[in-house]
Amino acid sequence: MKTLLADALTIAGKDLRNEWKSKQTIGMMIIFSSLVILIFSFAFDPTNNTVKAIIPGLIWVITIFAGLLGLNRSFIAENENDSLTGLKVAPIDPSSIFLGKVLTNLVLVTTVQIISIPMLFLLFDYRFHGQIIWFLLIVLIATIGFIVIGTFLAALAANAKNSEMLLPVLLLPLLSPLMIAAVQATRIVLEQEGIADAISWLQLMVGYDLLFFAACFFLFEFLMEGS
Amino acid sequence: MGYLFMAYTIIWGLLAGYIFILGKRQKDLKKELQVLEDWNAEK
Amino acid sequence: MKQPSMLMDRVMYALLVPAMFISLYLIFIWSPIEKQMGASQKIFYFHVGTAWVAFLAFFVVGYYCVLTLKKPTESRFINAGISAEIGVIFTTITLISGMIWGKSAWNTWWTWEPRLVTVLILLFIYIAYLFIRKMDGAWERIAKLSAVFGIIGCINVPIVFMAIRWWNTKLHPVVFGEGKNQSGGGVEPEMLLTLLFSLGTITLLYVFLMRKGIEIEKMRLTVKKAKSKVIEKLAS
Repeated sequence: MKTLLADALTIAGKDLRNEWKSKQTIGMMIIFSSLVILIFSFAFDPTNNTVKAIIPGLIWVITIFAGLLGLNRSFIAENENDSLTGLKVAPIDPSSIFLGKVLTNLVLVTTVQIISIPMLFLLFDYRFHGQIIWFLLIVLIATIGFIVIGTFLAALAANAKNSEMLLPVLLLPLLSPLMIAAVQATRIVLEQEGIADAISWLQLMVGYDLLFFAACFFLFEFLMEGS
Repeated sequence: MGYLFMAYTIIWGLLAGYIFILGKRQKDLKKELQVLEDWNAEK
Repeated sequence: MKQPSMLMDRVMYALLVPAMFISLYLIFIWSPIEKQMGASQKIFYFHVGTAWVAFLAFFVVGYYCVLTLKKPTESRFINAGISAEIGVIFTTITLISGMIWGKSAWNTWWTWEPRLVTVLILLFIYIAYLFIRKMDGAWERIAKLSAVFGIIGCINVPIVFMAIRWWNTKLHPVVFGEGKNQSGGGVEPEMLLTLLFSLGTITLLYVFLMRKGIEIEKMRLTVKKAKSKVIEKLAS
């Protein structure tokens, strides 16, 4: 168990250092999310008060779109120089590759969110009435679920030639319950003081996270088997 | 009444279409298999 | 080996055709017309039947996916694929008949009713599953990958249903608990019998299509083998 975590941290560390040097994926993701916000402000007039109602949805649309870019890269990038084969034959548990990749993607997507969500609030002049701590909790839990299932399916899709197109097709139907819960919970937390109304959504998200984390964790070795 | 007609037309249309596709697949494969078997027997 | 399966097919065909006509007779002539919704209510018999088969096909896919992960064999891989393909047809039929039913009963093509949306997402998962199977590569590899996705998709379906149900209760609390597809409170015995009979018929149709599909896929394998034989002969 300990070595599993240590290996996962090593893989995540390698990926993040790599990313820190090039800053390519994260840069693209941030620019892309800013552009999505820009397009949204053309599509929905920010001065209109009713647009405030769709802000919780926009947060998640931005996260998913930007996240898809990063997820696509996370295994395709390993195909260069055949380094994925290197990872597979390394004397480590395949699950630690999964954990490492989840950590990397989580860091990337959270970074994008830290920049893009305040930007969304600023540009749409949104003032929320709830408590920020609950908002952060809900965003974090939903993002973890998104990254877990996203990383898993990215590894699956990486086997195909058209993996960039395949990934969204695989991912979005599976994400639908999480997104329903995330959008509803975010809306409740942004508009109300307490978290009491959002608690059942929170439970659903935690259940989803745990269930899919367990399933992906155990099934991942099947993805890494063979050539 | 019109809706009833519409619904069943579409249901039967889709089913018939699928069965037709299956039949066509089978026919094509049969033909191909025949050709291949002839080849095998010839040489 | 070939003889009993052929016989089985004949028997099934002989059962299926009369059953189809009997269920049509039951639906259109024998069963009473529902008072509130009128004749359109008769859509419901096939709608429920196809919806049931759509979910059944999905669990068959899930079952063969688990088996494939345990030990991949060609026949398990084929069975899962055919079941998914039939599932796509039946989910499409369910969606379209559901929409027409909705239009006639509530005067709207689409409501965000949990069952309807679950079926829609089920359709997307089926299609995604078939996309994975269309990937090129060795079949063992694709069998594994698609099986993994099939299992994840299977886990997802009940969660989708729950999530949408909760979501809907938040929006219109009245809808909750009352089955929209049932024809109100009391179902007349004739209706129930007709429903059960058409359920049976459609399940039989599913099994028949399944056998047909498997037969065709097996034939494809034989063709492949014959092809490689020819190539070998030409090469030597």
